[in-house]
Amino acid sequence: MTTVVPKIVADDLVEFEVDSVQVAQHVARVLRESGAWREVVGGIDSVVVQFDAVRMEARAALAALNAQLSRVPPMKSVDADVVEIPVIYGGEDGPDLDGICELLEMTSDDFVALHCRDACPVEMLGFTPGFAYIGGLDDRLDVPRRPHPRQHVPAGSIGIAGGRTGIYALPGPGGWPLIGRTPEPLFDAAADEPFRLHPGVRVRFRPMRERAR
Amino acid sequence: MSVRVIRPGLQTTVQAAPRTGYRHLGVPSSGAADPLSLALANRLVGNDLLAPGLEVSLTGPHLRFEQPAWFAIAGAMAEVFLNDRPTDYHRTTGARKGDVLRVGSLTSGSRAYIAFAGGIIGQQLFGSASTYLPARFGGFEGRALRSEDVLELGKSDAVDEQGSTPDRFLTPMGQRWALRTCRWSGAGSLPSSQQERLFGNRWTVGRRADRMGLELEGTALETQTNGRLPSAAVFPGTIQCPEHGTPFLLSVDAQTTGGYARVAQVARVDRHLLGQLRPGDQVSFLPRTPDEATVELRAKHDVWREWLPDIEQVI
Repeated sequence: MTTVVPKIVADDLVEFEVDSVQVAQHVARVLRESGAWREVVGGIDSVVVQFDAVRMEARAALAALNAQLSRVPPMKSVDADVVEIPVIYGGEDGPDLDGICELLEMTSDDFVALHCRDACPVEMLGFTPGFAYIGGLDDRLDVPRRPHPRQHVPAGSIGIAGGRTGIYALPGPGGWPLIGRTPEPLFDAAADEPFRLHPGVRVRFRPMRERAR
Repeated sequence: MSVRVIRPGLQTTVQAAPRTGYRHLGVPSSGAADPLSLALANRLVGNDLLAPGLEVSLTGPHLRFEQPAWFAIAGAMAEVFLNDRPTDYHRTTGARKGDVLRVGSLTSGSRAYIAFAGGIIGQQLFGSASTYLPARFGGFEGRALRSEDVLELGKSDAVDEQGSTPDRFLTPMGQRWALRTCRWSGAGSLPSSQQERLFGNRWTVGRRADRMGLELEGTALETQTNGRLPSAAVFPGTIQCPEHGTPFLLSVDAQTTGGYARVAQVARVDRHLLGQLRPGDQVSFLPRTPDEATVELRAKHDVWREWLPDIEQVI
């Protein structure tokens, strides 16, 4: 692993940048398993560690973190399961699809074909329970977030932003332009395994004409 | 031991300790938005400081005691009646079977807390009984209370120390707040000129204000981001700023990762105040280095420890 430089960003938070989301998630998992931290949250290219400022001075936290980082074992690759996710593209379910296609100068059929072509890796979870960040998006489908987040995104909505697909498992606010929606539940608090997706799994999107009734 | 809901109030939920260690799964902290007030109420009925109690928002519930029970109220002020007699905040109070507790509208501050001796028995998930409304888990069936719900209380030893919160621990709620805050100095933060604008101005809490976060109205910030910042961790107390320039102060139910610029982080010492900010309140942010904020956190703990021995678990 290349050298990372953790920095104290707030009174109980330390952050460092890494080269990739895979490294971020791997390092975060290793740090979490040490049990030394309140929270270790990997992002797309960064990791934030929250420590207990009462038990640990910031400088001591930084030193402990650096010591752990010097001993992170290399990543192992695993064969990933493929999960198929049915999607109703466009219309009320994907209100931003037409605008995105206009911006990208392609038809919605072309968009859907590109979006469904490959099995894409779940890179991380985050945001709210069940939200999955999914990579592997074709370079041509790169759009920014909305400058004004929506206050109400329906559960199952699927958005793209910054070269990734995201699935909103729960209703709530959200800033990703929406291309469609899946009827599949992705988070079930009552289940033994509440999360349908997790890092390592691959997702293949399949267009469906309309919602099963 | 149980308590029946006659009227639920605007949004009354069971809240306890925050969830820790699950943010990487997208599971937020939740818990009492003002944990100090929950702790003050629990202290008076002999519970653990963050035992499950009721968090009351803006208008309070009416509750009927199905069995005798001790209770106490703290946090944002409202008129409170036990049957038809006004009753005090910050005092161990005994209710008999059939007594009705009525909590009115909160007049300043956003949230009041009712603790019952023995605590409320709530649904535990991810290490806490706190309600997380967006995913409908924790607390009472993962939702806000409704009429005719029946809350089960845990067993409690006799409350042997009936009393009241000492005057020096009563913190009045105003409409102006000053929160000690660190500049976010990592990747994906705003340029320092825009951070200075956050600290140099007074902000008004907007109408979008809930357990997830609070919109801050004032002079818009210039973000210079383009909607493509890589998603990264955020926490309760993080102030983030979408491209439209209106900062958003994240609270206990906040998302765990986000892709908007991070401006600053309200320090742990003052995070417990976030739960009392209400629309129209004035907020200013006091710049602190991480070390200064930690010294002040320890000083605050030293003050409170005399009344709340486990204060480190609360704030």
